[in-house]
Amino acid sequence: MTLEAVGFWVVAVVLLASSLAVVLTPNLFHAVLYLAAALVATGAIFLLLEQPFLFAVQLLLYAGGVVTIVVFAIMLTERLIGERVRQTSRHLVNGAIVAAAVFAGIAGFLLRSPLATPRPGPVDDATVAIGRALVGPFAVTLELLGVLLVTALLGALYFARSDE
Amino acid sequence: MAWHAIEAFIVLNVLLGLVAYVTLLERKFAARMQSRIGPYYVGRPHGWLQPIADALKLMMKEDIVPATSDRAVYNLAPIVFLVPCLLIFATLPFAPTLGVADLNIGVLFFLAVSSLEIVGLFMGGWGSNNKYALLSAMRAVNQIISYDLPFIFAALVPVVLAGSMQMSSIVAAQQGLWFVAYPLIGQLAFLAFVVATLAAENRVPFDILEAESELVAGFRVEYSGMKFALIQLGEYAHMLGTSFLGALLFLGGWLGPGPAALGPLWLLLKAMVIFLLVTWVRWSFVRIRVDHILAISWKLLMPATLVLLLAAGFVVATRGAGGG
Repeated sequence: MTLEAVGFWVVAVVLLASSLAVVLTPNLFHAVLYLAAALVATGAIFLLLEQPFLFAVQLLLYAGGVVTIVVFAIMLTERLIGERVRQTSRHLVNGAIVAAAVFAGIAGFLLRSPLATPRPGPVDDATVAIGRALVGPFAVTLELLGVLLVTALLGALYFARSDE
Repeated sequence: MAWHAIEAFIVLNVLLGLVAYVTLLERKFAARMQSRIGPYYVGRPHGWLQPIADALKLMMKEDIVPATSDRAVYNLAPIVFLVPCLLIFATLPFAPTLGVADLNIGVLFFLAVSSLEIVGLFMGGWGSNNKYALLSAMRAVNQIISYDLPFIFAALVPVVLAGSMQMSSIVAAQQGLWFVAYPLIGQLAFLAFVVATLAAENRVPFDILEAESELVAGFRVEYSGMKFALIQLGEYAHMLGTSFLGALLFLGGWLGPGPAALGPLWLLLKAMVIFLLVTWVRWSFVRIRVDHILAISWKLLMPATLVLLLAAGFVVATRGAGGG
């Protein structure tokens, strides 16, 4: 097995284990930490695919940003109420069945399709390609996302306004 | 492959030594500002053995784990805190060809990895199960959410001016003119960078999460011995890394008079200038109230850095294809 394959399997095991732990642990704070581990592992997958740009963005936005905000929310709510909020996972069995079905579907699809497509050679600089795509063919989508985020911001402001 | 591992090992060890001596530099500098002598007796002249004595002392201290702590989280926190602080040095070149990895997204890698530091910080604050530590962690999260963005925007100004996120090409773009000397944009961006750096490093006047007089020492109040040392180490490594980043982005990195072999020395000198600038501010100002800190970030730094970024974009656009 090549070093790359070993790396993939290690990261895959960490990713799967921490993702499962996110939904299974009853401790809300631990769930966030497992989420952070899962997001970093996802970033490591990008790194294994030789896409350092996606790795850095994944870390910056998800592991650094989203996790911090979730922690902020937990700290603000849990300790202020004075009692621990437990995470309860109902429908564990149903969820497991759906997940297994999805896995079987994708695995079946992948196994039956001819994987003749060779791995595309590394792009010279994926960062440039992504940048050009965002202001070229996907410019409208990007702008729409911006509008969506501004709407969300305004909504948050509306809810957070003080009652006067 | 093997050579890279050896190189990383060397950089890491030189770095740890440098971090230890940066603490001595700060103590001496602070002492000078306050008309004191500072460390003196441990290794004459001028206490040059003090960092080593400190490290030995911390290693021999008792390791205390509070009974009510969240054990696993509490024990892991110093490591989770330290690793990103050391990883940021992976993409910092010390000369055109000297460095662990001169990634084409070097600046982004630095920003991304240093944003992970907060995970270790709130793990420590939460895991200690101590109200001071928790309050401190809350303030830290608050502050980091506010100052990450201005820090990133300020660091992006040189990136836009150079047209690259690779550290070595950013330095190369400063061959004629250091970015800090760039009319108006350069100075303002550097100012914003230093202020955001102070906040990101939780230094006075932005140290509400340590605040000795009210929160004892903040999120690390329960830590002792080697775990405390790891947190201190991470904090100083982060400061040193940010100083290097500032020297590379704004002060022309290894560019300087003399033969090219002097490059790493120039870089070190410039990084030390930024470090001492930050230390100078630290020992001269008083702590700012939390609402003021947030107001400075959201109402001043954030719009200002955005406008600077736009202005840098305009400069590049009017200059034509010259920026690469």
